[in-house]
Amino acid sequence: MPNEEKLSSIRKGLLEFLILRIIAADKVYVADMLTRLAETPFATQEGTLYPLLSKLRREELLDYEWRESDAGPPRKYYKLTAKGRAQLAELNRHWKQINATVEELGQSA
Amino acid sequence: MNKVVTVNLNGNAFALEEPAYEALRAYLDGANARLNGNPDRAEIMADLEQAIADKCRRHLGPQKNVVGSAEMSAILEDMGPVEAEPAADAQTAPPRDNRAQPEATPRRLYLIREGAMIGGVCTGLAAYFNIDVAFVRIGFVAATLLTGGFWILAYIIMMFVVPKAETDEERAAAHGLPFNAQELVDRAKQHYAELREQGSRWQDDWRRRRRARRRQRAAEREREFWRSASELEYQDYGTRVAAGFLVPVFTALSAFLFVVMVLMVLSLVMTGGILDWTLPGDVPVWAAVLVVVLAYHAVLIPLRAASRASYEATAGPRHGWIAAADGLLWVGFAVLLFWIAWETSPEVRDLLEDMQRGWRQYALAWTRW
Repeated sequence: MPNEEKLSSIRKGLLEFLILRIIAADKVYVADMLTRLAETPFATQEGTLYPLLSKLRREELLDYEWRESDAGPPRKYYKLTAKGRAQLAELNRHWKQINATVEELGQSA
Repeated sequence: MNKVVTVNLNGNAFALEEPAYEALRAYLDGANARLNGNPDRAEIMADLEQAIADKCRRHLGPQKNVVGSAEMSAILEDMGPVEAEPAADAQTAPPRDNRAQPEATPRRLYLIREGAMIGGVCTGLAAYFNIDVAFVRIGFVAATLLTGGFWILAYIIMMFVVPKAETDEERAAAHGLPFNAQELVDRAKQHYAELREQGSRWQDDWRRRRRARRRQRAAEREREFWRSASELEYQDYGTRVAAGFLVPVFTALSAFLFVVMVLMVLSLVMTGGILDWTLPGDVPVWAAVLVVVLAYHAVLIPLRAASRASYEATAGPRHGWIAAADGLLWVGFAVLLFWIAWETSPEVRDLLEDMQRGWRQYALAWTRW
């Protein structure tokens, strides 16, 4: 590993984007997000995710509804708002640009 | 035996061993303190408590109704530290910066000396329009032919008028950003905003950008280093062997092209034509030579890329040695091909002998003078 600190700042920056992508694909519970990220380099924990989700909700990018579950109390079931989808589209585009740039610079080096 | 404490986690009652309770208390107090000032503190705390409650439930069963301290530390470990600054807060600020950064570097036309043939006008234009320099050169030659040499003037004027890219800064500006409509619009907006707030701030800004770019370059270099190191492992054996076979093939092809190009140029200069074909009277020899040379370079571009790729696939990121060996191989091929041409083609032999004679006369004239 080149430098764990650098990599972790890249991951941190991308986490919000990934969360939006996960929620856009499907309405999800927090536990689903955690399992989906668990297998990836972006594995995260409740301690990080809850504050992030509440921030995104404050920015009106996502919203939740309470859903009864078979086991235990009702859960928050997250979905994107229209604004969230718009921002995700922009992030997607930006991401493609970043990707293209990284590729391009890599080739010329 | 341990004392048991009953707690209420978001409306769920749990029995915890005292050390487990202490650990949980410390965790929640810490979280609460770190979320201080967060408008959603109460809600996040409730979410966290609920998540902890769920995890506790997983450790409990009909035969077990108290959470021990080892279990609690596992649970809290699993929860992870609560971050005061949500990961994304730190992230929402920089992107604005990053976006402003490239857009604030408008693309400019510069002469670029690297890879230039004459003055760097074509390389500069190629960078500006983000197209391959070979096409620019072909365009220039075509324009020159069509305008009866007049276009050369344009080149010369540009050589004097367009500034040279001397610093890294300027070279970067020469390349600018990949071109697309969205960016044009963004850049126009950016320019408008900049015009309004430009002032003494500009210089600070520029310094900051330069620093940021240096950092970025260093990071890129490092990433590139690691990327290639890891790609090396990804190349499977078959690919590497195939690439190893391809390296000399590409080399032979490139040497062949070189020999053909040289012979064509010589033939043009010595006889004013190639084999049976002679130049039309109104096309000057130098223009034909230029076309041949440019065509050679244009054909060579994909070939060079292919052989670089096969170096890398064969020998991995540190492929300097194979490139050097390949250079020698190329010279060998070129000499061999010249020899074959000499041996098998009377035209080539005539040509080379002519050239030798011409050269001797020239040398003779030189020594007499």
